[in-house]
Amino acid sequence: MLLAYSSYSCSEVIFSQSANASAFANQWTMLNILPQQAGLTVSNVVYKYRVEKLAADPMVVAVQNENANGSGYIFRSVDDWSGVPGNNISKVVPVGAIPIEAWGDGSIEVTGIGTVEDPSVIYTYRYDTCFIPTTPDCPGYEPPLSMLPVFVYEDPLEDEMIQRALELQKLQEEEERIIQEEEEEKETLEKALGLANTTLLAADSLALYDAMFDMSSIPATYYTSIPGGVYTEVLEYNSGRMPDNKNARRVGLATQLKHEEMVNSQYDK
Amino acid sequence: MFKQTSLVAAILLSVTQGARALDAPIMGSVQSKCSITTDTPGIYGNPTPSVLSTAAVDGGIEPVVRFDVISADYYKAVITHPQDFSSSPTLTDTVVWNGAVSVSEVSDPLMSGYDAAKRVYNNVTEFDLTVAGTTWFSITSDASYGFDKSWPAGSYNAVVSAECIAL
Repeated sequence: MLLAYSSYSCSEVIFSQSANASAFANQWTMLNILPQQAGLTVSNVVYKYRVEKLAADPMVVAVQNENANGSGYIFRSVDDWSGVPGNNISKVVPVGAIPIEAWGDGSIEVTGIGTVEDPSVIYTYRYDTCFIPTTPDCPGYEPPLSMLPVFVYEDPLEDEMIQRALELQKLQEEEERIIQEEEEEKETLEKALGLANTTLLAADSLALYDAMFDMSSIPATYYTSIPGGVYTEVLEYNSGRMPDNKNARRVGLATQLKHEEMVNSQYDK
Repeated sequence: MFKQTSLVAAILLSVTQGARALDAPIMGSVQSKCSITTDTPGIYGNPTPSVLSTAAVDGGIEPVVRFDVISADYYKAVITHPQDFSSSPTLTDTVVWNGAVSVSEVSDPLMSGYDAAKRVYNNVTEFDLTVAGTTWFSITSDASYGFDKSWPAGSYNAVVSAECIAL
């Protein structure tokens, strides 16, 4: 059961991170930073930068993202550098799991005297590839109702079995034609040979005949001539009255009576 | 029936064990609220025959150690830069050591004030870890051999000691 479930589920959770959002400017659009995946949530904001300032100068740096679903900020981390010398700062700020729809434009805002150098802002995120089950691989996938089945016309003559049968029939016809031609050629050849060897065959027959005659194995009557003619048939029928057998009269009468009884029985007489 | 039997047994047990003592143990463990990690191992560069230096301009790499403290004001970082090689070819002349420790990266801007408040004696530098979070300390170390004398060929190793001491 467990194996069947695991083989069915192809959902995959992707953990990854964005490129440096502040690589080119201190303001950025999240559309270009996060992949537009349904169900994507941001887990952490990792940022670092270097501050150049005098220790006595006031300076506040805020790394922030506007709230795309309302006013204010969805994320804001403030570093107060007032009264301390500049340095490199590196922070990992967990934000839970804020959905991608809430992340508005980002920026690094500097208030006071000092500069931010080499900033880096990276968002770590995660998403489920089957958050919306749009493919049959995803658990819970349901095909759209509007999707009609596609019928693909298939020519029956293109069927493999029919093609094979047609080829077999063609081969048989070809074989029959070749056999017929060979027989015709053979008959022609036999006729030609017969004409050419008649004399030779006759000589052989005569020699065989003489040998057998010398051995007296053939009776002399074998060569006796029977006079021919036509034997006509002779039909002769003497018409006349053929009398009843008187000795069988009784039997004949009984037979006649039985016959009449049977005939009349069908008329209920 | 079962209840009665149990009651009798309980009475007997209380009578027979009434004079015994029992020691109940209490257990606990304390997890360190300060951890030290080597972030970057250092490398000595050899810009001139008589100098070994971790400075980037000298072709070296400065070692970086990271201190993570969960609670503020409970610990101090004590970092000792080397004054001797842990292993090296045989040296027949004196070695002059120099070094320094400074905050190279912070997780809170207030940590940037550690440098101004650090205490330095001999080859030791102490920082009070007054802010919870992570602080990276970089250590520079350089050694000069004799009076502009060339280092013998071979491998040189030194150790930076970093401690987190409870206040």
